[in-house]
Amino acid sequence: MATKHHVVLPGEPIDPSLIPTHPKHPLRLGPGLRHIPPEDIVPTVAGQLITNPAKNSMWIEYNSNRYIPSQNDLVLAQILRSTSDFYLCSLSPHTAPATLPHLAFEAATKKTRPQLSPGQLVYARVSLANKHMDPELECVHPSTGKADGLGPITGPGCAFDVSLGFARRLLMARSREEGGVGVLEMLGGEEGGGLAFETAVGRNGRVWVGSESARTVVIVGRALQETDRLGLGLEGQRKLVKRLVREIK
Amino acid sequence: MTASSAPEVAFGVLPRADGSARYSHAGYTVLASVNGPIEAQRRDEHAYEAHVDVIVRPAAGVGGTRERHLEAILQSSLSQLILIKNFPRCLIQIVLQVENSPENDYVNTKLVQASLNFALMPALIQTAILTLLSAGVPMRATATVTAIAISHDKTIIDPSPRDVETARSVHVLAFTSQDDLLLAESEGDFTVKEWDDVYETAKKICCRPAPDGAAMQLDDDESSAAVGPDLRQFLRSMMESKVAADLHWK
Repeated sequence: MATKHHVVLPGEPIDPSLIPTHPKHPLRLGPGLRHIPPEDIVPTVAGQLITNPAKNSMWIEYNSNRYIPSQNDLVLAQILRSTSDFYLCSLSPHTAPATLPHLAFEAATKKTRPQLSPGQLVYARVSLANKHMDPELECVHPSTGKADGLGPITGPGCAFDVSLGFARRLLMARSREEGGVGVLEMLGGEEGGGLAFETAVGRNGRVWVGSESARTVVIVGRALQETDRLGLGLEGQRKLVKRLVREIK
Repeated sequence: MTASSAPEVAFGVLPRADGSARYSHAGYTVLASVNGPIEAQRRDEHAYEAHVDVIVRPAAGVGGTRERHLEAILQSSLSQLILIKNFPRCLIQIVLQVENSPENDYVNTKLVQASLNFALMPALIQTAILTLLSAGVPMRATATVTAIAISHDKTIIDPSPRDVETARSVHVLAFTSQDDLLLAESEGDFTVKEWDDVYETAKKICCRPAPDGAAMQLDDDESSAAVGPDLRQFLRSMMESKVAADLHWK
């Protein structure tokens, strides 16, 4: 995948030899880059320039604390209040609320829509992220009409805040190999003594941990937050999990 | 002269802010936090761009007219750097707290309400830029700043408050990473020739080219004349270590 590690600062010119070229696919720019017509590609944040020649895409990898919504992100939203047609949800503190239509749930009709109360958590997909409008969410796949794991979060549990970079690593399909985070597997595996829990990771830096046992929720939440804060590697994560399981009774 | 201390920065000192940095240079220490883009108050809301809110807090006491003036200068310079058109109806809040300053004990500086604090300005702007980088706020370019004082035909880079008082004229210049002039504030008596010299000196300090092999050798006799830290290289190396720490898992 990515080949070389180049740190870029905002406004720095990118060496043309780093920009991937592909005979068929158009060039795709990811987060942290902007295109100034006709042909300048300029970074807007400080981070590492990553290029993927196979997909003809490039982006900047960086870590921050403020979530800026973008389309198709999976987020953990909190309901603020309900209006006649949609729920207003918070994705990050002090930002304009995102809208979640009452009918954007699986098998929802005017009569059978889910009744959500303020404060409740919803796992949703960002369906519209336009800089001039409030973001829009949905809990149903628009073409199949299936929930695919999205929807209101029920059952005992607690939400924890992590950094955006860590949330992204948790959401990677192969988070242990590519993201270097195996703390959840360890907690459920032999290091953690087979704790039973479920998680919902939001790209907006929030992780919901659910379990019947409060002890498990505390252990998992603390393990996630400390792994993020201390920047632990796989070996450090193993030690942390063992320590938490031993200490928290 | 206590001025010529190497710049230092620590990122992420405030865990709850979106971005934070503590920067110290030339005897001044400034702690800053950046939050944004967040929802703007109705009166600050702009339909097409983000509002940049700068708050300067002095080391002691509450801010007065001088701080409001500094805020206005910083606000207009930083709005040029931040991509404010990307976040309409939003607010980007920058709070700068002066923690330490080599204030002159002999004079009550608060009496001189009208004058600007020129020695403090570079530290404030540099801290704001480092904090914006730490918060990952999209920007057009980075910038480097320097203060220069002229007294008795002697040029002092990064003057102390005492130097500023005795100097004939004081100048603060900021350059973006594309070598464009971002900010030029001057005070005192000076000729056009002097200002041109100050401009050249400041540009040499702020826009020093990256040291790579042959270019460095050629520059050596020139750049040894221009003292002061290599700010651009400092900014770059600090950001490189921050990015490396953030992406340790790669």
